[in-house]
Amino acid sequence: MATRKKSLLKVIILGDSSVGKTSLMNQYVNKRFSNQYKATIGADFCTKEVVVNDRVVTMQIWDTAGQERFQSLGVAFYRGADCCVLVYDVTAPNSFKNLDSWRDEFLIQASPRNPEHFPFVVLGNKVDLDNRQVSTRRAQQWCQSKNDIPYYETSAKEGINVEMAFQTIAKNALDQEADAEVINDFPDQIILNSQNNRPGNQDNCQC
Amino acid sequence: MWIQPKELLLPSAFWIAEMYSKYFVLQKRRGHGESRGFGSMLVGTFDSVMNTKPAPYRILHQTPSSEVSYEIAIGITQDEIVKDWEWLQANLFNALNEMENEDDVTNFTICKIQSLYAQNNQDDTGESADFKVMTSQFRQIFKMPEEERLVNSYSATYVKNKIPRQGQLYISMNHVCFYSYMLGQEIKRIIRFAELEDISRNANIIYLKTTNNMTYNFTLLFNASEAHVLIEQLNKMAIQQLIHDPESPVVDHDPSNFARLGGKANSASTSKKPVLLRDLTARQKSEEFRVHFRLPQTEIIDGKIKANIWTPYSKRFNAGDVKDLVSVVIPMKTIKSVEKKDDGQQRFDNQIVIITSENVPFVFAQIIDREILISKITDLLSRIHVPVSRERAKYDISWSKQTALMNTFRTKFSEEMLKKQEEKLARWDSHFRDFGRGIGMFRTTDVINLIVEGIPDKLRQEIWLIFSGAIHDKEMNPGLYEDLVEKAACIKSCFAHDDIDRDLPRSLPEHPAFQSPDGIGALRRVLQAYALRNPQVGYCQAMNIVSSVFLLFCDEENAFWMLASLCENLLPDYYKDKVVGAQIDQGVLNELVETHLPDLHEHLEQLGVIKMISISWFLTIFISVISYESSLHILDCFFYEGAKIIFMIALQIIEWNREKLLKCHDDGEAMLVLQTYLEGIYNPEYQVPPSSDKRRMERPQTQTVQTLIHEAYTKFGEELTQQRIEELRNKHRRLTVRQFDLDNEKTIVKGHLQNPYFDRKELHMLLSIIREEKMVLKSLQQQHKQQGGNQLGETPQLQHQSPTRLPNEPISRQEAYAVNFEIFHTLFTELTPWRKCVSVDIGEKLFRLTDKKGTGSLDFGQLINALGLVCSQRSMEKLKLLFILHLPPLLSKAEIERLRRPRPRTKDDAEEAIEAEDFFEDDASESIEALPSPSDHNFDGDDYALISATQHLHNLAGISGNTFMDLSRNTPNLSLNSNGICGGGGGGGGGGGGGSNSTFYVDLPGANRTSATDLLGLGQQGRYESIDTFSDISDLGANRLTPPTMDNVAATAAAAASGGAGAAAGADPLLLNVETISNFSQISDLVAATRLERADSNATDSRSLGSLGYLLDQPDEATGGSLQQHIPHMRKENFHLLWRSIIEILGCVQDEEMRRAHENLLEMGNSNIKKEPSLESFTQLNMGGSGDEQPDSNGNPTTPAAESSNTTRLFVALEEELRQAGGASTRSNSSTTTNIYESWHISINQFIETVLTVNAIQKGFQVPIQIVEQIEQLQKKRRKCLSTNY
Repeated sequence: MATRKKSLLKVIILGDSSVGKTSLMNQYVNKRFSNQYKATIGADFCTKEVVVNDRVVTMQIWDTAGQERFQSLGVAFYRGADCCVLVYDVTAPNSFKNLDSWRDEFLIQASPRNPEHFPFVVLGNKVDLDNRQVSTRRAQQWCQSKNDIPYYETSAKEGINVEMAFQTIAKNALDQEADAEVINDFPDQIILNSQNNRPGNQDNCQC
Repeated sequence: MWIQPKELLLPSAFWIAEMYSKYFVLQKRRGHGESRGFGSMLVGTFDSVMNTKPAPYRILHQTPSSEVSYEIAIGITQDEIVKDWEWLQANLFNALNEMENEDDVTNFTICKIQSLYAQNNQDDTGESADFKVMTSQFRQIFKMPEEERLVNSYSATYVKNKIPRQGQLYISMNHVCFYSYMLGQEIKRIIRFAELEDISRNANIIYLKTTNNMTYNFTLLFNASEAHVLIEQLNKMAIQQLIHDPESPVVDHDPSNFARLGGKANSASTSKKPVLLRDLTARQKSEEFRVHFRLPQTEIIDGKIKANIWTPYSKRFNAGDVKDLVSVVIPMKTIKSVEKKDDGQQRFDNQIVIITSENVPFVFAQIIDREILISKITDLLSRIHVPVSRERAKYDISWSKQTALMNTFRTKFSEEMLKKQEEKLARWDSHFRDFGRGIGMFRTTDVINLIVEGIPDKLRQEIWLIFSGAIHDKEMNPGLYEDLVEKAACIKSCFAHDDIDRDLPRSLPEHPAFQSPDGIGALRRVLQAYALRNPQVGYCQAMNIVSSVFLLFCDEENAFWMLASLCENLLPDYYKDKVVGAQIDQGVLNELVETHLPDLHEHLEQLGVIKMISISWFLTIFISVISYESSLHILDCFFYEGAKIIFMIALQIIEWNREKLLKCHDDGEAMLVLQTYLEGIYNPEYQVPPSSDKRRMERPQTQTVQTLIHEAYTKFGEELTQQRIEELRNKHRRLTVRQFDLDNEKTIVKGHLQNPYFDRKELHMLLSIIREEKMVLKSLQQQHKQQGGNQLGETPQLQHQSPTRLPNEPISRQEAYAVNFEIFHTLFTELTPWRKCVSVDIGEKLFRLTDKKGTGSLDFGQLINALGLVCSQRSMEKLKLLFILHLPPLLSKAEIERLRRPRPRTKDDAEEAIEAEDFFEDDASESIEALPSPSDHNFDGDDYALISATQHLHNLAGISGNTFMDLSRNTPNLSLNSNGICGGGGGGGGGGGGGSNSTFYVDLPGANRTSATDLLGLGQQGRYESIDTFSDISDLGANRLTPPTMDNVAATAAAAASGGAGAAAGADPLLLNVETISNFSQISDLVAATRLERADSNATDSRSLGSLGYLLDQPDEATGGSLQQHIPHMRKENFHLLWRSIIEILGCVQDEEMRRAHENLLEMGNSNIKKEPSLESFTQLNMGGSGDEQPDSNGNPTTPAAESSNTTRLFVALEEELRQAGGASTRSNSSTTTNIYESWHISINQFIETVLTVNAIQKGFQVPIQIVEQIEQLQKKRRKCLSTNY
């Protein structure tokens, strides 16, 4: 089974304008921080090889534009995503509030097979700054309410938690891959098996 | 109307004479106004096929001895022609009778008519009489409103089922229509421009395809290309309207602005073309002209004249109108003199020499209409106004304009590079010597050659300004930039500014200029000023990036004007909501790739790459994807070539990477290939500054930008023309807008899939019909507006005078599909089986029931629930709904009143009226006394609610309660209820009124007849900490609430409670508050709206709707028994109408069974009277129609007093209305009131149980309706103009 899995993970980074999406991506991929990025127009793109569960996979990271009028363009990028990273800026409460709509929009546009269990990861970025406005507790609460989304507080500038967050992203994306395959690639087979196995066995026992 | 007299030889063929005199005859076209008869059919066919479209009436002049007669007047209506006839009678008949010679008679008449004609046409629109006839026929055939202006019509053949139909193609501002009439068979087609998805022409055939996949083929023998161009143009306008501001018309699109063009220049030579058509053509011409010469939007072409020009650089004359040879723009204001010159040489005579203020002579030769041209130029010169810097308000802001940043932050050049720059400068200088400099330079291919090599830094500002056209805008608006900057700086906070501030450091961060406050400050000012100038665009990311490059080479103001011309002319609609312009161009690029690189196209399409890569290419003109030094060269070309260069370069980039792209397996790989390539593009003329953006450093250099541009020109320069791009844009504009709609619909449908009534396909159909209906409605409204106030606009497009409007918030998906009452009503009557119900306007009731918040519109979910239930097969729920729809707040007494005594206007109405009388006759014997006389209805329980609401307000407002007392004195009802309201304490209220209500009066404690103010006081002392007095007011009809603790009224309270203690109300008072506040505004609206209809129960409508709407809210739970408890009982009048509605809906005659059921129900109602004690029936009556009883505190106006003075004011106004209405209707009616309380009533349970036993009803209501079919039928009706709903 493991050999059949594709070794490519598509990860989409979403969030309001200037919460640090590009910086997070570059910190993770190139281990560098720069305050000289242009605003992302349309989308940007990076790849990185990662080792997850002892397998080498290529992670395709798509960094998107944050301004609202670009949102309708998202559809093109969302297609076939394995994981979605929602980023907000801990110093900008509005960017936190908008997580909801980013998430909804993604679910609607990408229409993943299993929206309830589609892997999201939430990152509260810019924790290195002093003027923090969104508390950890609030963010955690929100994440819990949305089916326990993993939550990390990061700083793309200092490189805090970035590596760990993306490890989780990769891992969850990979799990989702596995799930999707189990559910969708051999649906008949598996349903038949499970029916034969479980209820059948029970019946036998009872008789 | 009088016409230019025309000779006729065959005066009577096809015509019937209606009036005669000695010299005149008034004729009517055979077949006009009749639908039958062979003659009329023949004439109709003849007219249709031969394309003679005569007016239906005419007056001929003839003399007894002459063969020849003259057509002197035509009329579209009989009245019109009769008026002319009468004029003849009054003025000519006598005079003519006195003449002896018949020739004199004819001469005199014709002379007279000619003068009349001339007189009438002086101030006319300039339309020919024929065209007026055509217009009126068009409106008549297609039932178009007055506002729909016909542009032109063409004789055409429409092929339907392989049978060609000869007819007429009408093109109006919003529609293409076709009409044909062949031997009794009529064909009508209506196609809206906004719904066209594809337009193409093949020789004489015009092919149209609409968004719901209907296709049409029209064959035009003549003028096919003109019609095609017209359709394209109007479609473009319609789609642009959708893009620009879906809710309001854009001034630019009012063709009347161009009306002034029609006159002078053209009129001499033209053509009988209709004015509107001329306007549209002129508009189109102006647009092409502006695009070609890069002139601002305000420029309008005045005329075109052939000429040869003397070009000093080649020392010869060049013929005009040869493509791409040379072009010159001479601004009028720089003209110093215009002279005629004839140097005797025959070949080049008729010369004109124009000398500009810089003493540059321009010599034009071979001008045919030289005199006209000169006078024209003189005329225009005299009218030119040199814009002066306007007076502007002083702001307390100090700032200074930043000069080009490259002066402060110099680019480091190596020796070699410097030398290269010097070389270039020298070449440009010599070019200027030959070709002139400034706006008036001769633009030839030589310039392009220079530009392709890159403009030297020092000249960029000058050249960019000229070629982008920004210079014209700048010169016409001196001082505007400063003004905008200062105004913008005074705006405290807005979204655009936040966005801008966030992006300032992320514009061109690699350049040192934008690491300094100077650069950042200038960029901020430019962007903020632009957001203020053009609120439709506001600020869009990517604008910061291009602006920062402008700022490097231009001073601040110039950069601003370049940005303006970029957003408004060069890249139209690019930075609007959804970056729609860029998305359109993406579509264009996709198609270009398909044509030029077909093998790659398929592959790229599969990967979905083009959509991903190209947005940033377009929006930033490659600045964000290749190094800034390299992008400068592309920018240089861009200002000269326009968007064309972007397409060329894009194609070249894809082509260059062909092999690599073909090997890619997914979108990511392809992205990477292109990214690597693009980042490797370099410009050897600049030193790459050490960038801290390390990503870039690692890329190997791939190609110089010079090669890229050069290759792009060689490979694609020829084939891509501005015109081709425009055509493709038109096409993709349609497709893109269509795609937006489809995406929206898909999303909405996804969100509503869980509804119990409709499946996916049905939802899609519903959405599309809503969209179409909205468009119909909108186009009508829009025209209204345009007709109204559009003469103001001298500046057709941007009204920068009104920057106060905030950037428009994009409409959310859901909102785009919300329906207002008009549309709902159309949908209801067209789609549901209940349309058959005519005596009661059920659609209106259903709308009010569904629109709980009183917003005046329903969102899609509400609409589904309302229509869904009606179309479903749930017979029981449907009957329940019907029952509810006939309950008082929805079907009020006043309305019943109106229905009972309709004013017969038409035959149908009269019949109905008789029918209605019959209905009421039926029960006359049973309850003649029970039914109060008409006048009594004026003030019943429902009205009471309004009054008491008013009273509350009154109290709140601290106004003396006299008015209220007056009212209550006259209405015993009221006094009774006010007792209820204020609980035992207030008691007295209006008790002073009639004695007939004493039954109730004695239940209440000794009334101290205090004024209303006292009531207030009492209320305040009362034990009720009521939070929701507001909701009380809105619930007033229902709540007569008394403090339970007070013994004396306990009975009442108990009764109220037993009557159905409100479920909803008790639940969350706070929520109710919110809801009812919105109700208040509705109350006042309704009152205002129905002022003439007496202030009847409107006030309570919204109040109880919430509870009645229960059925709609929980369609699945409604089956449960609990529902019945919330539904009040029904009175007899309502019941009669309900029964009638049922019969109408079933569309059959009552059978025996039904009749029996009806009698049963009537009987049941009677027995209910006896069964229940009067006190209880009182309660029920007062429940009026609401379920949400709530045992609390009507008499406690505590909270609201402090809450909002606004509301108070509203209520005072409300009360005012009421008093006016009430004054008329509050005659004493004491004698009958008691009867009301004991009146006949029936509960919903009884009704449903009985009715469901009837087979016919049970079956009839079980039939589900296939909404898809209904919608398709409606669409067909619309297309074929079968319905009259316009």
